[in-house]
Amino acid sequence: MGLLAFFVTQSLNALSQAALLFFLGVGLTLIFGIMRIVNFAHGTFYMLGAFVGYSAARLTGSFWLALALAPLAVGIVGALFELGILRRLYRRDESAFLMVTFGLALVLTELIRLGWGPEALQVEAPSVFSGIVFVLGEPFPTYRLFLAGAGILVALAIWQFLERTRLGLLIRATSQNAEMVHALGIDVNLVRSAVFGIGCGLAGVGGVLAAPLVTASIGMAAEMIIDAFVIVIIGGMGSFPGSLLGAVLVAFVQVFGEYYLPDLALAFMYLVMLLVLVVRPGGLLGKEA
Amino acid sequence: MKPAAKMTRRNVAGLAAGGVAAAASPWVVRRAYAAEPIKIGAPLALTGPLGSVGQQLKRGCELWVKWQNQKGGLLGREIKLLLEDTGGNPADAVRKAQEMVERDGCNIFTGITLSSEALAVVPKLDEWNAIFVSSDNGDGRLTAESFVPNFFRGNVSAPMGARAVSLFLRTAPYKSFYAIGMDYAWGRNSVSVFESEMKQAKKNFIGSVFSPIGTKDFSTYITKIRQSGADACYVTMAGDDYNAFLSQAAQYELPKKVQLLSEVVDLTVPRAVGDAALGLISSMRYCFRVDNPKNKEFVAIWEKEYGIPPDNNEGEQWQALQILAAGIDKAKSTGTKVLRGALETIEIDDINGIVPIRKCDHQAVQGGTVVKLVKAEGFSYPVPEIIATFPGDKTVPACNKMTFED
Repeated sequence: MGLLAFFVTQSLNALSQAALLFFLGVGLTLIFGIMRIVNFAHGTFYMLGAFVGYSAARLTGSFWLALALAPLAVGIVGALFELGILRRLYRRDESAFLMVTFGLALVLTELIRLGWGPEALQVEAPSVFSGIVFVLGEPFPTYRLFLAGAGILVALAIWQFLERTRLGLLIRATSQNAEMVHALGIDVNLVRSAVFGIGCGLAGVGGVLAAPLVTASIGMAAEMIIDAFVIVIIGGMGSFPGSLLGAVLVAFVQVFGEYYLPDLALAFMYLVMLLVLVVRPGGLLGKEA
Repeated sequence: MKPAAKMTRRNVAGLAAGGVAAAASPWVVRRAYAAEPIKIGAPLALTGPLGSVGQQLKRGCELWVKWQNQKGGLLGREIKLLLEDTGGNPADAVRKAQEMVERDGCNIFTGITLSSEALAVVPKLDEWNAIFVSSDNGDGRLTAESFVPNFFRGNVSAPMGARAVSLFLRTAPYKSFYAIGMDYAWGRNSVSVFESEMKQAKKNFIGSVFSPIGTKDFSTYITKIRQSGADACYVTMAGDDYNAFLSQAAQYELPKKVQLLSEVVDLTVPRAVGDAALGLISSMRYCFRVDNPKNKEFVAIWEKEYGIPPDNNEGEQWQALQILAAGIDKAKSTGTKVLRGALETIEIDDINGIVPIRKCDHQAVQGGTVVKLVKAEGFSYPVPEIIATFPGDKTVPACNKMTFED
């Protein structure tokens, strides 16, 4: 394998991983930006997306329908949780949110275990992306190219949504000054429900897209949530571009770190996070820097 | 019209007898288990990346305890299973086991899932005055440099699994090898034994790499395997990591270029990844297709309860408990010292045929089985086909050793 081919294929690998990390990180950061809560159940919504995606793909016979239906279902579950539980806690301190989202993670995990069983389940990549292409003479899975492309498209779509739509404007305004938005006659609670639902739905997208790579399994939430927190801390809590930057940075550090210094593979991500916290405690694009 | 039942003396007597029997039934049950129950502690990794292995061990323990209690327990005593989840964390495994000792008075353990957990627990056995019959722990050190007298290994060890694959490879066409293992005690131990075996067989061992437990993206590792130019790659993985590795390797079409070999494979893996596991050659610690009457009986019991064949670790857990039961029967006691003495000279004839415990290092001596995952009628996923077997005297290392001389 030539050096150029190596760097190009590894970079594509990193981008495909960055896409999955971004789907999780962006929801986490949007929710924090608006509601100032750390959603410990976010990884579980990602896992729920994978399992619902598995069932939807089996029932409909279509990965694409599963990709549309599962995030919708996860988003609805998230919005209902906000409406039913979180809304009652906004006057409490932050520890209440930690406890209740952590509790939700435990309950959802057990419900998934009861509903789908303890074994990992296979979700096949869509047939159009099940083969390989040759990139500079090296085989590369088309599904990973699709992931990288999907990540870029969704990032652009979220950016446009936040910048160009009324709900996007309200989200940005609420994250800056919720009381002022409320004073202007806007139902801030509705914005919060929408953001929580959208954030969880995006985690669901990540879960469905990750399933052909890692299978739908009970352990997948715990394996991913730490990375998602690291991304948000690196990028800056509440910053949309920060979550994108954090996801790309973490993915590249992991992919190239594992290659050159595999014994330190686990440490790299945390070293980057430590470095960022020392230099810019609020994260690279965070407001409190 | 049907005549009304008359309250005759006979009826009254019958009712009275029935009432006495009903009232006495709890006493009858209690009387059947007059003594204290035998407590078996199983601090299992039910969650975490190796949760699927822990779940297998749990099913194995639960069905065995149910089956044994239906036969009247052991020594006329009911068997009580104590289950806890360690999450695969060695510190938690020690803490939960210690709680079972102090809170429940438990002195018998099994099912501890990860070798790293077992290596953390065994130094405490003497202090706890407890016996631990391993059903899953592969790390060779447990019967070598880390061996303690209260530890028994009822399962095939990592050196034994690696040896079976190595013996198969002596006559296979592959010449150069690479290896990947999960980065913890078992993965490193298994790869080191395989490396030693390949070098001894004058094969070209190119190198190895270890992935942290919980790795999600194996693209870099797959790149390394491809770059090595090896004919075959030895894989020491389990649980979620194994599923992710095989899924992604198939997406890179790695098996078309490199034959994947493995120290052990559970049926949960081909069930989770489907055709991505097709063609994998692996040692198996227990294979439901072993052809002997005891195994057929076990498979029937298992399928009646769970509706699917028993998996690798489920069979191993069953065997470990059968060894323990034979020891308790022989000792006529669950006292640690007497039980240890009995277990040291035990021999069972069970699902894997005749398996004796070796007194020198408490290893269960059993043969090696090499399988290939193939499509078979009646199964929607690839299943193991036995392609080679080796006797125990070829696959078990010398006492307190992890490598082989020949």
